[in-house]
Amino acid sequence: MNEQRFLIKAVIKKSDEMIYFSQIDLGLVLERALRRAELPLYFTQGFRPRVKLSFSRALKLGVEGEEEVTFYFSKNITPQELQEKLKKQLPHGLTILKIIE
Amino acid sequence: MIDFKLFQHPQRYIGNEWNVIKKSHNKRIPICLCYPDSYEIGMSNLGLRIIYSLLNDSDDIVCERAFFPGEDFNNFLLNNNQKLFSLETKTPLANFEVLGFNFNYELNFVNFLYILSLAKIPLFSRARKDLIVLGGGIANPESLADFVDVFYIGEFEAGTASFIEVLRKYKDKKSRLEALCEIEGFYVPAFYSAELKNDKYEFNKIYSYAKLPVKRTYVSNLDKSHYPLKWLTPHTAIVHDRVPIEIARGCPNRCTFCQARAMYYPYREKKAETVCRIIREIYKNSGYENFSLLSLSSSDYSQIEELIDILFAEFKQKRIGLALPSLRADDILGKLYSKLHLLRKTSLTVAIESANDSLRNHIGKKIDIKKLFETARLIRTFNLKHIKLYFMIGFKEETEEDLRAIGLFLEKLNQETHLSLNVSINVFVPKPFSLREDATMAEKDTLLDKINIVKNGLPKRRSINISISPVEKSILEAIISRADRKFSSVILDVSKASCNNRNAAGNWLIWQEAMSKNHIDCAAYLKAETINFPWSFINTGLPECNLKKHE
Ligand code: SF4
Repeated sequence: MNEQRFLIKAVIKKSDEMIYFSQIDLGLVLERALRRAELPLYFTQGFRPRVKLSFSRALKLGVEGEEEVTFYFSKNITPQELQEKLKKQLPHGLTILKIIE
Repeated sequence: MIDFKLFQHPQRYIGNEWNVIKKSHNKRIPICLCYPDSYEIGMSNLGLRIIYSLLNDSDDIVCERAFFPGEDFNNFLLNNNQKLFSLETKTPLANFEVLGFNFNYELNFVNFLYILSLAKIPLFSRARKDLIVLGGGIANPESLADFVDVFYIGEFEAGTASFIEVLRKYKDKKSRLEALCEIEGFYVPAFYSAELKNDKYEFNKIYSYAKLPVKRTYVSNLDKSHYPLKWLTPHTAIVHDRVPIEIARGCPNRCTFCQARAMYYPYREKKAETVCRIIREIYKNSGYENFSLLSLSSSDYSQIEELIDILFAEFKQKRIGLALPSLRADDILGKLYSKLHLLRKTSLTVAIESANDSLRNHIGKKIDIKKLFETARLIRTFNLKHIKLYFMIGFKEETEEDLRAIGLFLEKLNQETHLSLNVSINVFVPKPFSLREDATMAEKDTLLDKINIVKNGLPKRRSINISISPVEKSILEAIISRADRKFSSVILDVSKASCNNRNAAGNWLIWQEAMSKNHIDCAAYLKAETINFPWSFINTGLPECNLKKHE
């Protein structure tokens, strides 16, 4: 399947209670937040498709930190739309600091 | 503030799940639901979620949660002289007005007492001044009668409103318990005496307004009953990491060893339309990527085909997984065949119980094995990882041939499906309220012999994984589930032992020691009886229960 995909990169900050969540947990939290935000999601292929995301590096457990996350969508959405819709769905301690591209 | 990164799985203690409910305690009645097992297991329990959401629906109630802590967190509390607290507002459990405990698994009874002691709350009901300990999910409450102030016998959704009413109206423990015992489903053990006289249990009221027999209650309209739509969504993986959507409660079948059919009697369904509405709402609120349809026997659900069609169409686009546990083997071939490969399901579960037709009939299990083999070729097309199979042994009428048949059956199934088989062999435990509550539990040596016969007949193939439930653990489950009030001293001793040894509750020798110290003859609990049990004061509402009472 050659579905079109659209990328948006953002910097996400992990703080407060969210510092106790691992990198794997973070993927899960973002996936569910994106689903709740009803954005046009792009999924991985295979038997158990997941919402596609990629991270620049893994954040350490237990400390505050920032990292770059790449979001993939099946339709072209504006960075503003992502920021507005996702913000409402993120738990306390996860913040979108800025959109890169 | 505690530094949670000191602990393994710090997520267990944070209480910041999506949709968590945090209210101030000011002018509210605080209730804490405590689960006597780990966070990951407790959060997979639907009952806990229903009651959490239902209680919090009342503005003047604040309901929070606590779980059995991990070893490191437990040591931290002990070393720092801190008391166990709730997840949401980190309030010590002793500061709640009510603690609700789920007692659906006997071996967790010890954890219950341990939680109380970790919270520095007196263990005995009579020693507690104001705090009320409420117990639910239990079949036979007698072994905990000294520790629990009031049990709810049946489905708590049916009693929640009256429970809240009583808490609002009365403020001290005595008047609260007196008011509760007049309401159907609430059982206050201190208001009854239960004595064994000439081998017969005699139940009497001590408080004249208490009800006898105690009637089990249930939700009459499952379709309209409360469902936790604001699904508490952990930011981490839990044991069954999918949202269970209850499509039916109870079971129309009559497997004789089964306790669940009595605990969830009668059989009720939610309409497919309601199920879909609930799923849509929960998806919107949680973003969960996996759902499962929950019932004791999904094949019996009258709108199953329709429901799968609707859900599959909706889920495909959004890549939501749907699992359908508890299927009957014959349905794979029949009406559900065309639907099944629509599901993203990696295993198939068949509770077959016995490989022998006549024994299966005897224990009431309706499965057509011939059909299962006819299905074998179809099963191969399903893209399954493996098949899970459940067997049960330890019945009186079972022969050596029956036991050997298990191995032959597995070999044949493995050959015909080319799939790996995960096989659980469980020991029959005559649980209260099952149709065989009056059966004698097989003795340890007999069971070990039977297991050996099964083992010798098993094919040696790498693709067949067998797990056999430990005999001593099953006997222990039988003893605790069938025990009377005297047994509380044993549970107390084992819970004390678990302060130094976290695995005490699973250690047969520790139980045995506690039983002999307290002069408990466990064989008495396990011998065949007719109608005279420690739990005979409860009326489940099942037809056979009413029959017996009139005999
Ligand atoms: S074991 Fe039998 S009676 Fe019990 S829930 Fe399963 S099908 Fe129903």
